[in-house]
Amino acid sequence: MFNRRQVLLGGAAAVSLASTGAATRAFAQTKEITIGVIYPMSGASAQVGVDARHALETALELVNNAHDLDLPAAKAAGLAGLGGAKIRLVFADHQADPQKGRAEAERLITQEKVSAIVGAFHSSVSATVSATTERYGVPYIAADSSSPSLHRRNMRFFFRPAAHDEMFSAAMFDFLDAQKKAGQKIDTVGLFFEDTIFGTDSSNVQRKLATERGYKVVSDIKYRANTPSLTSEVQQIKSANPDVLLPSSYTTDAILLVKTMGELGYKPRNILAQAAGFSEKAVFDVVGDRLGGLISRASFSVDMAAKRKSVGVVNDLFKARAGKDLNDNTSRQLMALLILADAIDRAKSAEGPAIRDALAATDIPGERTIMPWARVKFGEDGQNPHADPVLIQYVGGKFVTVFPSAVAVAPPQWPMNAS
Amino acid sequence: MTLQALLQVLASGLLMGLIYALIAVGLSLIFGLMDVVNFAHGEFLMTAMYAAFGLWLLTTLDPILLAPLVTAFLFAFGALAYMGVVRHAMRVDANVGMVQIFATFGLAILIQGVAQYFFTPDYRSITGTWLGGRTVEFAGIFLPLPQIVGGLVSVAAFGGLYLLMSRTDFGKALEATREDQGAVALVGIDRNRVFTLGWGLGAALVGLAGAVMATFYYIHPQVGGPFALIAYVTVALGGFGSVFGALAAGLIVGLVEALTAMIFPPALKSIGVYSLYLAVVFIRPSGLFGRL
Repeated sequence: MFNRRQVLLGGAAAVSLASTGAATRAFAQTKEITIGVIYPMSGASAQVGVDARHALETALELVNNAHDLDLPAAKAAGLAGLGGAKIRLVFADHQADPQKGRAEAERLITQEKVSAIVGAFHSSVSATVSATTERYGVPYIAADSSSPSLHRRNMRFFFRPAAHDEMFSAAMFDFLDAQKKAGQKIDTVGLFFEDTIFGTDSSNVQRKLATERGYKVVSDIKYRANTPSLTSEVQQIKSANPDVLLPSSYTTDAILLVKTMGELGYKPRNILAQAAGFSEKAVFDVVGDRLGGLISRASFSVDMAAKRKSVGVVNDLFKARAGKDLNDNTSRQLMALLILADAIDRAKSAEGPAIRDALAATDIPGERTIMPWARVKFGEDGQNPHADPVLIQYVGGKFVTVFPSAVAVAPPQWPMNAS
Repeated sequence: MTLQALLQVLASGLLMGLIYALIAVGLSLIFGLMDVVNFAHGEFLMTAMYAAFGLWLLTTLDPILLAPLVTAFLFAFGALAYMGVVRHAMRVDANVGMVQIFATFGLAILIQGVAQYFFTPDYRSITGTWLGGRTVEFAGIFLPLPQIVGGLVSVAAFGGLYLLMSRTDFGKALEATREDQGAVALVGIDRNRVFTLGWGLGAALVGLAGAVMATFYYIHPQVGGPFALIAYVTVALGGFGSVFGALAAGLIVGLVEALTAMIFPPALKSIGVYSLYLAVVFIRPSGLFGRL
């Protein structure tokens, strides 16, 4: 039991806390913009969320402090258009579950009063989150969800600065065509994809492109995500032995796939990956020795730092936090927040519809990003069609850009096990 | 599909089945002993894998040599889980079953959270081991050495368990306690002590499975989930409480899973296992070897 003195003391403390709280809120109204962030912070993909947090906090540092970098919203401290207002991030965990994502989006909008939401890695979660933000009139930036169906739902508040899987897959097949033209024998491809929206959408595009461009699909394997064993699946790929294996897998399955291929004595002729797990450091830490020569599509390559100063500086800032280089996912997350901050700055408002209109008017040339993109300019559907993807190859323990030739740092090794 | 591919899938399924059986038998043992389903079983497996990983980092010994240590550690872990959580959950006056489920389920979430906090959600893997990455090839059929050794360990563990249950006083006390908890108290067997040791033994078996799996599988706070799900099906299929039911059911699950993935689209591969399970539930609800 409390005695009377303790109760009195506690009451006094509560009153003083409440008054400072009110003061902070009043300050917040003019000086702070709240942005919601939805990522998997626990569950099988938790590492993605941890890395996303580092990426977004790096972006936050660029926005809230002055940096001599030619990037959107980085020059001044805070948002000049809102009298130097700072951005505050509120993180929410969706555990790779679309329903949890929807609930968290609702909470961020109604309880935390966020001005916009950034997310969500998993395309399945971006689908439900963007439906919620649309309903409340709050902009949603799909930083790194790449399923093409996402921007085809007539949404006004949905924006995706990065490429979607049709653009990525087109780049992959452009590359195959180029190799074929150069005299390589590439007749057959093998699809291997997980059974959520990311894998199925990716494979649908790849199947269509393969047929259109005259490649025979000799294995077409949809597997259950997070399965304990992939032996039967790999046995089927091994029997078909395609010229190019096209996996669309998240981290756990990517590790298991590569391990199982090794155990069954199967060396794929070539792997051309739809990133996701195959751009995660964890995969290369665990099975990198078996992945020499792997090519993955990407939105980013750290070797661009040689051509653009800001890439190196931003990568160093990120590395100081995360202990690793920016990758396909983290670069897109970081860039997404900068693009959003730039729009809020121009909107001079914390209101969803005003920010939405500013986003729709965004026009940032590629040189003012850390990405290999031509520019950032959204179409009517919220998709940025100028986000040109690159292909990167894992050679000697690191990634080098090999395609398209305009930005390539080295010629591709083909077939992958040639060295 | 060639004969060779079929044999490959069957052999892989059989080896995986032996591991499934070893994971499931601890669960079955605890259930048979005291009618408690341990919902933290997958997290016990994960703890064992992290224990193997941690010991490997510390000692740089091969994980196969570390398996006895991991098993002993899990024995203590299981006994503590009983004394610290389950024992109290069994004392309630009403809804004992529900309370036990929530208690072990809560324990599962706690262990997962603690693992993610301390070990980070990064994926770990033990590299450069004697067995790791080695494969035995026989007439075009590839069998990974870690899984072969894992299968042998599993068979040996079942042999040891049989001896323990049939030849020792402790085994007889376990058997007696599971037949009639009231009667054993009358003849002076401390029920609590038998339960503690039973939980220890159950956890030690899944610990052995974890130590073996750490040689060929990635390690992650969520790694236990899919295996625990298969363990529940295995136990239900083999019959709750039946040790050899778990062995037989583990093999069946491994084979059926591998064959289903071969015949149907792999995304549907759990359908075979669950259909079989449903068929057993309809035709023989106590499981293949159950005595309920």
